[in-house]
Formats: sequence, structure tokens, C-alpha cells
Amino acid sequence: MADVKLRNVKKRFGDVEIIKGVDLDIADGEFCVFVGPSGCGKSTLLRLVAGLEEISDGSLSIGGREMAHVSPANRGVAMVFQSYALYPHMTVEENISFGLRMARAPRDEIARRVQKASDMLQLGPYLQRKPSQLSGGQRQRVAIGRAVVREPDVFLFDEPLSNLDAALRVQTRIEIGKLHQDLKATMIYVTHDQVEAMTMADKIVVLSAGRIEQVGSPLELYHRPRNQFVAGFIGSPKMNFIPVDARVGEGGAEIRLPGGAALSLPGAADAAGAATLGVRPEHLRLGEAGDARLTAQVKLCERLGAETMLYAVLEGGPEVTVSADGLCRVQPGDRIQIGLDAASCHLFDRGGSTLVNGSLL
Amino acid sequence: MFPTPIQKAGATTRMLYYIALPVSVVFWLLPLFAVALTSLRSIEDLNRGNFWGWPTKIEFVTNYTAVFTQSPMGQFILNSVIITLPAVAGALALSCMAGYALAKYPFAGNTFVFSVFIAGNFVPFQILMIPVRSLMIDVIPIYDTYWALIIFHIAFQTGFCTLFMRNFIKQLPDALIESGRLEGLGELTIFWHIILPLVRPAIAALAVLVFTFIWNDYFWSLVLVQSDDVRPVTAGLQSLKGMWLASWQLISAGSIVAALPPVAVFFLMQKHFISGLTLGATKG
Repeated sequence: MADVKLRNVKKRFGDVEIIKGVDLDIADGEFCVFVGPSGCGKSTLLRLVAGLEEISDGSLSIGGREMAHVSPANRGVAMVFQSYALYPHMTVEENISFGLRMARAPRDEIARRVQKASDMLQLGPYLQRKPSQLSGGQRQRVAIGRAVVREPDVFLFDEPLSNLDAALRVQTRIEIGKLHQDLKATMIYVTHDQVEAMTMADKIVVLSAGRIEQVGSPLELYHRPRNQFVAGFIGSPKMNFIPVDARVGEGGAEIRLPGGAALSLPGAADAAGAATLGVRPEHLRLGEAGDARLTAQVKLCERLGAETMLYAVLEGGPEVTVSADGLCRVQPGDRIQIGLDAASCHLFDRGGSTLVNGSLL
Repeated sequence: MFPTPIQKAGATTRMLYYIALPVSVVFWLLPLFAVALTSLRSIEDLNRGNFWGWPTKIEFVTNYTAVFTQSPMGQFILNSVIITLPAVAGALALSCMAGYALAKYPFAGNTFVFSVFIAGNFVPFQILMIPVRSLMIDVIPIYDTYWALIIFHIAFQTGFCTLFMRNFIKQLPDALIESGRLEGLGELTIFWHIILPLVRPAIAALAVLVFTFIWNDYFWSLVLVQSDDVRPVTAGLQSLKGMWLASWQLISAGSIVAALPPVAVFFLMQKHFISGLTLGATKG
């Protein structure tokens, strides 16, 4: 069993506390993604699980075994680095088999495992090449192969796709997804790219400044963010945040939108005063239909073919992004009507915590 | 771009450059050429004062054999080899390990030890003359043996070599070492199998440098050695001076013979200077 449990894990570098008390459960076989902005501590947390850094406080267990004093090699983990970390003076085959050879594993066992990894990752044609003769994507597959051959309980990925170009990123993402299906191993994956997080994860852990902001499935984080940070981080393009005035009314919160329109959100019992309304660009529509309407002037149009991103300014100043149809004819400078529904709106209080989530899910 | 590349400079500057360059090369090589030419002259030429003209007779074989027959030059060269090779090996071995420790292990006092290595390089070696001699006579009685020069050169050269290796190893990606640790490799295995192959160009460059420094060293050969059977070739050249007259042609020939090994070592080690050995280890 390879479940990972963290209990009140803290990490200090000198006086600075980087990880500020993290509690997390990762089930056996789960694909868990740590996501967050640069500097939030996700790579540090991964390195704590790997054993490359020591935990300052708290406990970490893998498969039920306490890991605080276990060396990285004995934790049953294998790591794929952002920079691949291949040994440049060895061929691909030697790179993959190096750990096993140094551990004096039987030669046929080494050959079997290398063959299996090579088949899984299509490394056959490259086995005798050196890393300098491979492309970025091929090098990353070799790095993954080196991890696979260890047959670990937990795979750790530290932003493995960051150094690949866009097309290769998509392809390698799919390969890692297939790997997870084949091996059914626990995988912890660190990324700053929320698209990778959304497409690959069983469970996403959103981190900010050393703390967990929210843990949940991709759709849960998309539809029910617990605070404004998670709402703004998950989902591309970013959610629109509109400052509004809220009052408790019958059945929920009564919102006054910029431009005067009123919107009623069921459920928020303690909404009062200044608040922030969150609504995603893809949930705004051009035209009059909807529970409420906003008037805006378009500043910029980005035509992507499948959709058109309209960057507009509401009366009173706040800027919004609207994801419109790819063929819409709106030009910069046009005044547009934007319709929105209560079901797709979120309300956040002054401190950023969620008062009401949308009810689409 | 400063200074202006010569292709972009004005016509006068370019002309001056094209004249000055060969002239300075000639001046630079002139002493070497003179020594080589002198080593081919006969003694009559030198007595007549024919220093710069073409030799009346080319006495190549005579002079060069005389170097070996009229003085224990063979023994001196052997002594130099016996002293230089272990000293180079010792200095490189110690400095690789020390450089790795200073570059990749964040132990308390790391910066202090490193600064001691740097500061030590600024000590003029001449002031060490008497203390080291006393050390070799009184404390470790190895004065006038091979060990005196071997141990001294290992100790002295390790200072500079450690600085060099530490800076070189610092550039190696930490991820390589961490990856090794995660695979269960011990620290010595990581050092031997991962670090050393990657620092081969640095070791090759240092080997040539250190070999040249130690082989050409004259000062310590004089200070630490008295007897002919331990004396290296640099100090041994004086014995070619002859009883009644200075045989310049023999001294020149002897100097050329003594200067050849470092040049040979340089050419032998050239293929290890290949840079870009770490291409492909990490992204970029």
C-alpha cells in the first residue's frame, strides 16, 4: 500500500517558515497534483516527501511507515526532475539501469526491468544514445523511465513538463496519464500550470504561501472554490472579480451590480456591505438573456477561432473578460450588454472567503 | 563592444595591428629560437662570438648526446618524473575531494575554509622557504629525499587546485546528485561515478597546469634537495656548466630537453579538454 499522509508538516529554512503546517491524505493509487503560484512551497513539499529536505515539525508516513528518519533511497519513492537530471556521460540504457547496477541487482532482473520501462515509454530506438543526442521530450521520457525501473510505491514529478514546448507538453501529459493507468501507482505531481492540474489530477491541492488553500477534485475546485484565491487560480481565463454591495435579503443575498442592476443569490446568510462577485468569462454571455445585465465598453478583442475573448470595462471602472463565440462581430469600442445567471455566480467577503458558490455542479 | 574588434577598427589602426602583431610574435619567440639555435652550435662558434648568425656546423647529435653523457641528465629527468607524477596525482586527488565537499556540502564553516584556500594563494612562496626547510629537517625528517618535494608540491598545489575544482563542481546541477541519492547511491559512489566523469575536462586542464608548475619548479628543488641522486632536472641543469667554461650549447640543449615533457603532456591531454561535456544532462 502506498498511501501518503502528512500531519501538521512544517519546514523552516533558518528563521523563515516555508511550509506552515500542512495536513494531507493521499490515497493509494491516486494522482495528486500540487498546484500554486511560484514560491508557494509546492516543490519544497514534494522534496519533503522525497526526503531531499528534512521535516522541521510534524509527521510524514508512506504506506503506514513513519518516514521522518528514513533516507530518500529507502522511502520507496522515485522522482522525475524538472531539469531531467540525466547522467550525461552515460547512454540511455546505462542511465536507466544505473541505480540497479550499483545496488548489485541480478543482471537478468536489470535487463527485464529496463526492457519493460523501455517498452512502456518507447525508448527502444534510443537506448544506446547519450542524453545530448536526444530531444527534450525524449530526455524527459528517459527520466521517467529511470523512475519507472525502480518500481517505487510513489512517483514524484517536479514540474516535468515546464521545459517542453506547448505541443510536446500535451503529448507528454497524455503519456503520463497513460502511465498512471498502466501502473496504478500513487503519483504526486507538482506544477504551476493549472491546465495540467485540471486535466491530470484525481485530486488537486492548491497551495499558497506554504499553506493548503483547498483540496478537491478538479471540478469541485472549479465549481466550489473555498476562497477567492482558489477561484482566481483555477480556470483559464481567470474568473472575473467585480466589487459589489451586498445586503441580506429574503432567501439570500441581494447584490447591487455596477450600473445599478440587482441580482439575488440564494444561500448567503451573512452577506453585508462590500463584497466581491465572481463569475467566470465562459459563464457570461453577450445579450440581454439572464438573471441580470451589465453594460460594458469593449477595449480589446482576442480572436482565437474557437472563441473570442472580449476585454471590457463596466460602468464604474471594473474590468471584465467575456468569452464569446468565435464568430462574434464585436469590435473594440463597441458597447455591449452582458447577461449573467445567479447559478454561475460566486460571492466572496472582504477577507476573500466564499460566502456563496455557484450551483452549476 | 569594447575594445573595438580589429575588423571594425579604422584603416590606420588595422595596419598598425597587422605590423605590430608579427613583430611582437617574433620578439616573443626570439629567446626560444635563440636557445634552440644555440643548442645546435659548436663550441668554436660560441668562442668566436657567433651568437646570431647561422651555425657553421649543425652539432645536433653531438650536443644532445653530450648532455646525457657529460652530466647525469638521465638521472635528473628520472628524478623529475619520480617527483612530478605522484605530486600531480596527489594534488588532483585531494583537490577533487576537497573541491566537491566545498561545492556541494553546506557544512558549518564551509565559507571560512574556502576563504582560507583563497587567501593562501596570495602568500608569496618565498617566505615559506625557511619554515618549510625546517619542517623537512626537524619535524618530518625527509629533507633531501623525493618525499620532501612530493609532499611539498602536493600541499602547495592543492591550494590552487581546490579553488579551481570547487568553482567547476559548483556549476554541476544539484539535481544530478539528488537523483543519485534517490536511487540509493552512496556518497562515494556519487562522487566516483557521477561527479568525476563530469569534471574530466577540469582535471585534464589542471593536470597539465600542475605538471608544468611542478616540473619547471626551480626554487624548491634548490631549497629542499642537496644530492644529485634526488635532484630534479631544473636544478640539475647547472651541472652542465662545466669546470672551466660555460658550455652554453650544452646548457641550451639541456634546457630544451628539460622543457619538452610539459609540452608533451599538453598535447597528450588535449582531447580531454572537450568542453560541453554536460550538454544533455539538464535542459539547456
